[in-house]
Amino acid sequence: MKPLKAMTVFVWAFLVLIQPAVADIFLAEVKPILETHCLGCHNQNTKKGDLSLVTKAGATSYENDIFSPAPLKKNLLLRVISHQETAPPEMPKDRPPLSPAEVETIRNWIASGAPWPEDARLKEASKAGTDWWAFQALRQATPGGPSSIDEFIHAKLEAEAIKQNPPTDRRTLIRRATYDLTGLPPTPQEVEAFISNSDPRAYEQLIDRLLASPRYGERWGRHWLDVVRFGESNGFERNVLINNLWPFRDYVIKSINDDKPFDQFIQEHLAGDAIAAGNPQIEIGSAFLVAGPYDDVGNQDAVQAAQIRANTIDEMIRATTEAFLGMTVGCARCHDHKFDPIEQADYYRLYASFAGIRHGSADWTTPQEKSNYRNKVEPLNDQKKALETQVERINETVLSRAETEASDYEAAWTRPKIQRTGIEDTFPPIKVKYLRLVSEGQDVNPNNKRNFNIDEFEVWSSAPAPKNVALASNGATASGEARQIEDFANAYDAGLAIDGEFGARFIATGGTLTIKLAHPTLVDRVFFSSARGERVPTQGKFTFVGEYRIEASLDQENWKTIATSHDRQPVNDAFRNHRLRQAALRKSERQELKRLQKQLADLNRKLKSIPRPRTAFLGRRSDSEAQNPFHVFQGGDPQRKGRKIVPASLSTLRSVTPTYTLEDETPEAERRTALAKWITHPKNPLTARVLSNRIWHYHFGTGIVDTPSDFGYMGGRPSHPELLDFLAKQLQRSGWRIKPIHKLIMLSQSYQQSSAWNEAAARVDGNSRLLWRFPPRRLAAEEIRDTILQVTGTLQHRSGGPGFRLYKFMQDNVCTYEPLDHHGPDTYFRAVYHQNARAAVVDLMTDFDLPDCAFSTPRRAGTTSPLQALTLLNHSFTMDMSLAFAKRLSGGASTEAKIREAFNLAFQRAPKPDERHSSRALVEQHGWRAFCRAMLNANELIYLD
Amino acid sequence: MNPDLIRQTRRDFLGNVSSGLAGIGLSKLLSNELRAEAITGPHFAPKAKRVLQIFCPGAASHLDLWDYKPSLIKYDGKPLPGEENMVSFQGKNGNIMKSPWPFVPAGQSGKHITSMLPHLAKHVDDIAFLHGLHSKTNTHGPGCVFVNTGHPTEGFPAAGAWASYALGSQNENLPTYVAIQDVRGEPPNGKANWSNGFLPARHQAMTLAAHRPIRNLTRPAPISSSEEAETRNFLKILNSAHAAERPQESELQARIAAYELAARMQLSAPEVSDLAAEPQHIHRLYGTDSSNQLKSAYARNCLLSRRLLERGVRYVNLYCASRASGVDGLLNWDAHKTLRADYDRHCPIFDQPTAALLTDLKQRGLLDETLVLWCTEFGRMPTHQQGTAGRDHNPDAFTLWMLGAGVKGGLSYGETDEFGRRAAVNRTTVWDFYATVLHLLGLNHKQLTKYHNGFERRLTDVHGNVIREVLS
Repeated sequence: MKPLKAMTVFVWAFLVLIQPAVADIFLAEVKPILETHCLGCHNQNTKKGDLSLVTKAGATSYENDIFSPAPLKKNLLLRVISHQETAPPEMPKDRPPLSPAEVETIRNWIASGAPWPEDARLKEASKAGTDWWAFQALRQATPGGPSSIDEFIHAKLEAEAIKQNPPTDRRTLIRRATYDLTGLPPTPQEVEAFISNSDPRAYEQLIDRLLASPRYGERWGRHWLDVVRFGESNGFERNVLINNLWPFRDYVIKSINDDKPFDQFIQEHLAGDAIAAGNPQIEIGSAFLVAGPYDDVGNQDAVQAAQIRANTIDEMIRATTEAFLGMTVGCARCHDHKFDPIEQADYYRLYASFAGIRHGSADWTTPQEKSNYRNKVEPLNDQKKALETQVERINETVLSRAETEASDYEAAWTRPKIQRTGIEDTFPPIKVKYLRLVSEGQDVNPNNKRNFNIDEFEVWSSAPAPKNVALASNGATASGEARQIEDFANAYDAGLAIDGEFGARFIATGGTLTIKLAHPTLVDRVFFSSARGERVPTQGKFTFVGEYRIEASLDQENWKTIATSHDRQPVNDAFRNHRLRQAALRKSERQELKRLQKQLADLNRKLKSIPRPRTAFLGRRSDSEAQNPFHVFQGGDPQRKGRKIVPASLSTLRSVTPTYTLEDETPEAERRTALAKWITHPKNPLTARVLSNRIWHYHFGTGIVDTPSDFGYMGGRPSHPELLDFLAKQLQRSGWRIKPIHKLIMLSQSYQQSSAWNEAAARVDGNSRLLWRFPPRRLAAEEIRDTILQVTGTLQHRSGGPGFRLYKFMQDNVCTYEPLDHHGPDTYFRAVYHQNARAAVVDLMTDFDLPDCAFSTPRRAGTTSPLQALTLLNHSFTMDMSLAFAKRLSGGASTEAKIREAFNLAFQRAPKPDERHSSRALVEQHGWRAFCRAMLNANELIYLD
Repeated sequence: MNPDLIRQTRRDFLGNVSSGLAGIGLSKLLSNELRAEAITGPHFAPKAKRVLQIFCPGAASHLDLWDYKPSLIKYDGKPLPGEENMVSFQGKNGNIMKSPWPFVPAGQSGKHITSMLPHLAKHVDDIAFLHGLHSKTNTHGPGCVFVNTGHPTEGFPAAGAWASYALGSQNENLPTYVAIQDVRGEPPNGKANWSNGFLPARHQAMTLAAHRPIRNLTRPAPISSSEEAETRNFLKILNSAHAAERPQESELQARIAAYELAARMQLSAPEVSDLAAEPQHIHRLYGTDSSNQLKSAYARNCLLSRRLLERGVRYVNLYCASRASGVDGLLNWDAHKTLRADYDRHCPIFDQPTAALLTDLKQRGLLDETLVLWCTEFGRMPTHQQGTAGRDHNPDAFTLWMLGAGVKGGLSYGETDEFGRRAAVNRTTVWDFYATVLHLLGLNHKQLTKYHNGFERRLTDVHGNVIREVLS
């Protein structure tokens, strides 16, 4: 160590004398040390301890502590990176310390005055560089090397001296293939036909048949919907259902059934509206951009609003780069990607590409349909306007006439006007059992007679010691139509008006509040309010009656008015004018108004009957928002604008994929089109690799890369890199159609082999990444439900449209989703047609790992829990299905035959003798329902070999 | 650390160990399976084994409950210096507004809290108040999700799910993680607050409350107990035969075990929910007999919480109030316009039952191993909203507190500025809060990770420091 150290000091001393070289040594030796050990925290964004080491200027506040050589012992930098007696170095925090040689380099650098060339900027290197495997061009297969899936697989197995399993049996194979391509079990007839078919091409024909089935698109469309984080509610606080996004789901299913080339499919996701404006079938693809969660709560705080907007764009950037490129570009939002060669600027290049997208519905129709609608509606709207003008004119005439006699009317308004904080009415003592408040107009809208609030309504007995007989505690009850919240009964009920407390209010929606006293009582006074004791009673939540009457009754049939507001001063001008107009209206005018109102109503009816042009949740496009000059947001903070950015390709693939850079003024649509073309460019190696890997992943349960949306440093390494490129090339060669790739994979021996266990192989490769066996799997959530429906004969097929729901949807400003206790036959469709809401739970499917669609789900979890057992045993769905299954079996055949049929339907095999025996025993003792319930809970139903 | 190792799936695990499974009991097998996904286990000896997290959604005001600011009284009606034209979540703000209720000293420590919480005041000497909290968001949904998951966007696992993932169950006959929602409905962002996020589905909270039994817990009405027994027996015959042909597939054994655990849960869960088994004086202590139906409903949930914790449930999320309704501040603590009326309603619901729960946990010695957290999503402004007598959202300052296992009581850590507008001294993040919670559970927050879409995700994101000052 010692001679080396001396040597370093010597070199340093030497260099200090030759100034120009000092800069070089900083760049060559010191800079890499600081970049490796310090910059992770002390960069411009994170700035831990208010220190950035990106430039010398960034460390100004520490200048004397870091850059001053004298005395060296006290130098802060040196102290924190060195061992202090027994204590380990303070820095770097939670990371390995610097090596002694590195500390020495720093010491010498400081001793020589810590020279730092002014233009030298430190940059933290990502773990993976542009030489990372995933960012290289697709490789051609080595001539003479493996040239088929099996050759690639066998080569690796041979290297590990493992043998692949023999082919599986025919029954297992058709079950595996049918589930794989359609997500449903084969029928007993299909199994029988396949087993007995001796044609050597029988299996290939099976694959062709399955690929041609409309069920195929439903199955593989569901996979794709996972990848593109498709969900039909907006998430966040309000989480409102989106009822016109289903056309995107139908588009995905149809495109996959049609084997639409995936490069085109992806382009349509990003820019379908731009590529084929006016063609709804393609425009709908671009709903991808807005199919994720977004925050729609209004925010008046400008800083927060900007942050929320940035979060919304962020969601699109992540969804796009993860789904198509297998890149986690989202990690470059606040700083350069720590692991992959993705610059922070790359992130904002995409930001500038998506900034013109807003969530929301838009017309989803042809230009022709749109103009047809306009032509029908416009003349009616003109007529409507004319009628409204006539009504207004009469009202004005009447009012101006009334104004001339206004003082006469006003003289009768002697009592003080209505106050939300409380008003009193007294009347001669009267015996009442029932007393009611009838609204004649809301104080903010004379025409609304239904809505008002009451925090307390008091009715006082006529007695020497009066008491409030309306109080619930005195035996009274209150009723009246109230605002309802479905998941919290009585939230705004009439009872709140007589509970003796002012905080909570009865929110009337039916125009009356009726109070029933404990027994007929002599009363002479009422007092009521909507904002008792409130400092600011003008708020909207305190709306009150603006005109009313109070009625009394003993039998709830004969009502007598005992007080009104008519002798009060009007609560505002609207009521004053209303009163004046009512008083001055002539008979002829009244009739004329009535006639006009009727005509208006007719017109409105007509307008309503004209079907509106269809809309879909395509999002809206804003050219102006897209063309702001864009900047890097330092630290991801929209308030800290960094360097200017234009839409452009990602630097990561600079050397393998042709790049593009757009002008600041480029229209919104062109930005997305350019990005879409770049992503699907034949020389973009990621897109084809990522897609091929996804296909492999769904066939074998694990991808060649086991993190299908992350091909970067943090993701998995490919188990068979050459095979992956082989598949990607095949995909491109097949014109980006994926059906040929399915066939290629499924015709391989590796796919057709058995799933039997092999102890020796398992010791080397426990989870069969090398494919010494076909990996068995549990069915996914949707498959389980679909299977139950299919086996019991209740599954109905449909051709798209709005989804069905297994939850009850409730909205009271924000939304609540309660799983249903009973699923009726109107839900017996494939689960892909379920309207999946975010942050919602549905029985069965959530238990079996249906993911929340807050994020893209490249790989489903597969959990085993008691909850699954509870649901599958006890939910009424299982009961209904057991009964349906039992019914399906009652074809008049013998018990034996029915048991056989049940096994064939559920497991695609005949029962074994002891199974037959115990089935029979259960059926005889507890009937077919019990037997069917057990069959639907069996492991064999939901596990595939 | 080898990232490939971290990402081992259950199947990977089983694939590697399955040769040695013969002879292991079924429930052991399932718990092995559980452990296969619980990648850490405690990293060091824990102080706390269980967590009770009480959540008051709607942004319960630090300035009207816990954080005493005499300057609000002194400058009541005066402009807030330097922020005279402040625009926040709902719009413009007016002048400084003092709390409608006085603050009173409580306990030995003399800590001032609002006079509206006389029962809770008796516990201040056990509580560590954290007054220096600040949030990233001023919106309820993201705010609640942030305080429950460490991330303001939904889709991340809640703290309880992380605890389940890391530590597994203490009583397999009951759920590991329970969320008890209020009778008034779900909190803002609903189920995202107790979601498993990208952790396997078994780590989601089971929802349960005194007014809502566990879903699908009881066998369907028309099925007799003998039919149930025979059906299960037949099912076991089917499954055993199927598994026997695949002896290495332990997932099949695990599912058989799951059915047996479900049967045990069917017995245990009704027992834990049977509040009638509690003596009268306990019911009175909690206030389950209150004529205020919202209070009695919450009190029953408090009592249920204690019974769950007592029987080893790992993490209980207890809610007091719900979401934003059409009327601000009605269903939760979101007092935008009528602070006095709103908190006159909310405080009595919250006070006695919560205090009783603390008393009861203490008197049974459960606090020795139970960590209690009180949370809300952010704070409120020292000013009133223009034209109202309520306060707007304030993400820059709020109070959380903790109590129980491993926590030093009678302590206030962190301070807001003179007016409570911003966290000023010992500023604290939600990540610091959870770094501390995990520390108390024996977990290093930086080592509790799960790979998801490009990142080793943590409850504390990429932040967080353990707050040593509150550790006992």
